Amino acid sequence: MEIQSNGEEGSSIGFRGWIACRRRFKPDDSFFAAGNIERELLAKQVALDLTEDERYQLQKMEIAEAQLVFCPIAGCAARLNFLEDFEDHYHTRHTASCSVCSRVFPTSRLLNIHVSEAHDSFFQAKVSRGFPMYECLVDGCGVKLKSYKSRQQHLVDKHKFPTSFEFYKKARPSKHQRHRYQRRHASHSKEASKDTDMEIDTTKSKRASQKYRPRKLTNTKQRETEMEVEESVNDLIAAVSKLSTSDSSPSSISFGHRHARGFAFVPRSIRQANRKQVSQPEAKE
Amino acid sequence: MMTSPNHLPSTVEKRSRPQLELSTLITKSGINWLSVVFVRISCEQLHLAVHNTSAQRRRQLAVAVGKEKREALIRAKRLCREAFFEDNEVSLERDMDTDEEKTVLDAQTSQTVDDLKSALTYHFLLAFINLIGLVCFNQNISGKGATQKKVETLRELRRLLSKSEVPPVKAALQAGVIPLLVQCLAFGSPDEQLLEAAWCLTNIAAGDPEETKSLMPALPLLVAHIGEKSLVAIAEQCAWALGNVAGEGEELRNILLAQGALLPLARLMMSNKGSTARTAAWALSNLLKGPHPKAASELIKIKGVIDAIVQHLRKEDDELVTEVAWVVVYLSALSEVAVGLLLKNDVAQLLVGKLAASESLQLLIPVLRSLGNLVAADGYMTDKVLIVGYNITEQLLSGLIKCLKNEHRVLKKEAAWVLSNIAAGSIKHKELIYSSEAMPLLIHLLLNATFDIRKEVAYTLGNLCVAPSKDLEQPSIIVHHLVSLIEHGCLPGFVHLVRSVDIQSARLGLQFLELVMRGMPNGEGLKLVEEDGIDAMERFQFHENEEIRNMANGLIDKYFGEDYGLDE
Repeated sequence: MEIQSNGEEGSSIGFRGWIACRRRFKPDDSFFAAGNIERELLAKQVALDLTEDERYQLQKMEIAEAQLVFCPIAGCAARLNFLEDFEDHYHTRHTASCSVCSRVFPTSRLLNIHVSEAHDSFFQAKVSRGFPMYECLVDGCGVKLKSYKSRQQHLVDKHKFPTSFEFYKKARPSKHQRHRYQRRHASHSKEASKDTDMEIDTTKSKRASQKYRPRKLTNTKQRETEMEVEESVNDLIAAVSKLSTSDSSPSSISFGHRHARGFAFVPRSIRQANRKQVSQPEAKE
Repeated sequence: MMTSPNHLPSTVEKRSRPQLELSTLITKSGINWLSVVFVRISCEQLHLAVHNTSAQRRRQLAVAVGKEKREALIRAKRLCREAFFEDNEVSLERDMDTDEEKTVLDAQTSQTVDDLKSALTYHFLLAFINLIGLVCFNQNISGKGATQKKVETLRELRRLLSKSEVPPVKAALQAGVIPLLVQCLAFGSPDEQLLEAAWCLTNIAAGDPEETKSLMPALPLLVAHIGEKSLVAIAEQCAWALGNVAGEGEELRNILLAQGALLPLARLMMSNKGSTARTAAWALSNLLKGPHPKAASELIKIKGVIDAIVQHLRKEDDELVTEVAWVVVYLSALSEVAVGLLLKNDVAQLLVGKLAASESLQLLIPVLRSLGNLVAADGYMTDKVLIVGYNITEQLLSGLIKCLKNEHRVLKKEAAWVLSNIAAGSIKHKELIYSSEAMPLLIHLLLNATFDIRKEVAYTLGNLCVAPSKDLEQPSIIVHHLVSLIEHGCLPGFVHLVRSVDIQSARLGLQFLELVMRGMPNGEGLKLVEEDGIDAMERFQFHENEEIRNMANGLIDKYFGEDYGLDE
């Protein structure tokens, strides 16, 4: 049993923030299981002459048995060993990634829905002709609606989704993109290409190699025009890079997730170019 | 809901007394024909074993042995191996027969041989017990000679039941041993008879649940023989038997409590004799387990109990201190009154002393847990006892640090738990921990230890970063602690927790990320979390648990919303 109070006042997003409090457990709580087992093992150590390995196996068995859990991703319910297997399972089952915009989905069904809705012009064509194309996200429901908004409403009304839920999540511009905007305002293209080179180093050292540049105020109109220009430039870059890389990877492989093991590394600049190309229409939605 | 409920197999604790002598039966002059039968049985069993040594059989053997050992362990019954009254016979026997015993027993654990053995043993025991019945209760046999015979036969029975890890209890029960033993416990019986009978019952109670339950008819007598007029050795043996019964489960515990077992056991624990007090304490700890707190509340009210606890905790006898510490574990976990009384009587100081001084894992576990329970139970411990600057506080901290460094997972985990509760105290406590040797240890554990340890450490480190909250206000962040933790590389540890299956841990991780984003100066928090944290948070978009989903989405929206990075 946990003694914990709800300190929600003062938090603008209704977030239950960290509160330091004492935690107490009943004597038969599973928290104490390992210690209890240890007590018995020690009492019998001399008597039964257990090997180290046997002791370890026994402890593992006891603890693992008590803590089988199910995968918490909606609709999955796979059985997992509490302590270890979740990461592996998540990577095998829940990292369906869109090859166009690199968004990750927990099931291939959702990925397919996303791809149709976000990257398929045929889909858009049918929508504009009035066909109900937006599928309900809940597997098994089967309902199709005519607009993104009405599908959203259906999810909220029928399936109790939170109103804040957004399937068509606006992709955050990455750090790279932010800095590109700033550099465009601040300086000339020379710097931009330099940055592109800099981007190719991997992940964690990235932060060290970049400097923090102060953001500058610009007026929005100018920014928009510049963004459009950049967009078309990026379109070109994207198209060209698509031609050169031998890239028809299946959508179930995820790109460049840092913690992913053994997946292909794609130079960040190309990935960002692809991303940005799509993020613009989304932002205008 | 993901986390599992408490459906652990109850780690029952029973102890039986074993003895390893086969050949003594042969040499014993009194019951020759029986010993001959016994020897023949052993030879046959060996014979069978030798014949069946194919590779497959050996594998089966290994599996059976492993399984049996495992089951024996899980039942956690305690066999009474040594006589606590000095019995020369006993020590001699133990040396002579270990090897022979082992061979025979190894052979005996294969499936077929087991069956054979139990069949033979059953018949043997049946004959044996009938013999005892005849000897004991035949009207024609009377006088000193008869009493002697009775005791001798009981002793043989006891030895049989003390054989190694798997005594032939089932066979004995089938042969009707319980009513016999109950009769042997009658008031006024000679001391040795009572002793042997209680010993037999102890080992029977150390078996399967059904075997333990079979002791029901004997319980009132066993309780009665713990009276103050009984010989200490007898009282102790009866306490041992009752300890096994209490260790079986809640039902039997309630029965024993109803029969008034608590008071005599408590009195027995006040004994000056080490082994007696130890056995009584062990039996009491089994009786107190509950989960109903009534035994604990009753025990603490008995006059002299607290004093006895205090006296024993001062001693150097590790085994005794261990058992008494387990009593304190249950008292502190189940009774608020007990917590108060224990603290008033300086038990905390004694425990802290033991924590610092001892290296015995057996002892450290209950001592640490008692302290953990005392700290968790009431603000009194942190507010009034563990005052920063007092010696006891320093000592406790170094004791906890010692546990964090210990190789055993249990000590690390529970020490981190205790620290987390202390870190939930005043600012001074937080600063004390923050500036201590514990920090590098905790950070290392956060990034490298097993999940259960990491979780407790996370609680500790996070608690260090928030000030005590007044009522329902959102607590303020202790920025220099937070900054330091981040500088030392803690963030990946918390992100890892966000990715965990366990809802509590995921929530914890998210709460810490929120602290980072809200509390780090110069908006640095956002940059830091962006690296890996966003991935982890986005995972929750499709999580089953609505609260977590909303938490994660809320954070992302607030800190990485549409406007992120595009304007000032």
